Amino acid sequence: MDPTLTMTSNEPGTDPEALERLRRFGGAKLLGDMIALFLEAVPQRLAAARRGLTGGDAHAVEHELHALKSSSAQLGALRMHRLSLEGETLARAGTLDSASEILDALEAEEPRVRAWLSAACTAGDE
Amino acid sequence: MSTIAVVEDNPDNRLLLHALLDDAYDIVEFENGVDALAGLRAGRPDLVLLDISLPGMDGNEILAHIRGDSALRSLPVIALTAHAMIGDREKYLAAGFDDYVTKPIVDEAILIGAIERGLGRRAGM
Repeated sequence: MDPTLTMTSNEPGTDPEALERLRRFGGAKLLGDMIALFLEAVPQRLAAARRGLTGGDAHAVEHELHALKSSSAQLGALRMHRLSLEGETLARAGTLDSASEILDALEAEEPRVRAWLSAACTAGDE
Repeated sequence: MSTIAVVEDNPDNRLLLHALLDDAYDIVEFENGVDALAGLRAGRPDLVLLDISLPGMDGNEILAHIRGDSALRSLPVIALTAHAMIGDREKYLAAGFDDYVTKPIVDEAILIGAIERGLGRRAGM
């Protein structure tokens, strides 16, 4: 296994402070809307990146993972952010085989992020 | 009230920028370079927040079009980027951006400060 991925698993996967920050920026409404947009976008971005990989389109993979990197950082999905950054860097270098492993890890991370953010949304409604 | 053009393809980022800026500025939003350039020519905002990584024409190409257009040339343009690598600031300033703000947005004062400096330069011209 890639040593950077091993390292990733020992670091925190999520950052509750990022959600508090969004709440401070725009209240529970902004936080809820940001989470909803993000959770809608993640599977679309991952699917588009997967299509890029299949089609050998490194630029598409890079673009999708770049967008995912940016949004996941804003939402405090730290592990998803780190994986996206790694995948974006690999795609930019044209090493799509390695990027494919990262995409596998991102697809595995998605349900965890979804569960965490959905719970944060529910907590915000109370 | 000054008008800020936001050029950003990510809907969550647009929503966040809108939430942070809407009280103090009029916001117009564009999702890609073609729409942005047409909108800037038609609407003449006071400042542009320009994402770098856009599908199709990227932020650097859009900036080149702005700087090459006599009507738009003097618009303050702030690069908005999630690249955040060492030396980026110098690179973007050298490319002709007026300022550079990194995503994720952690401190809204940095964003507002960059906008106000940009608007100040425009007012001082």
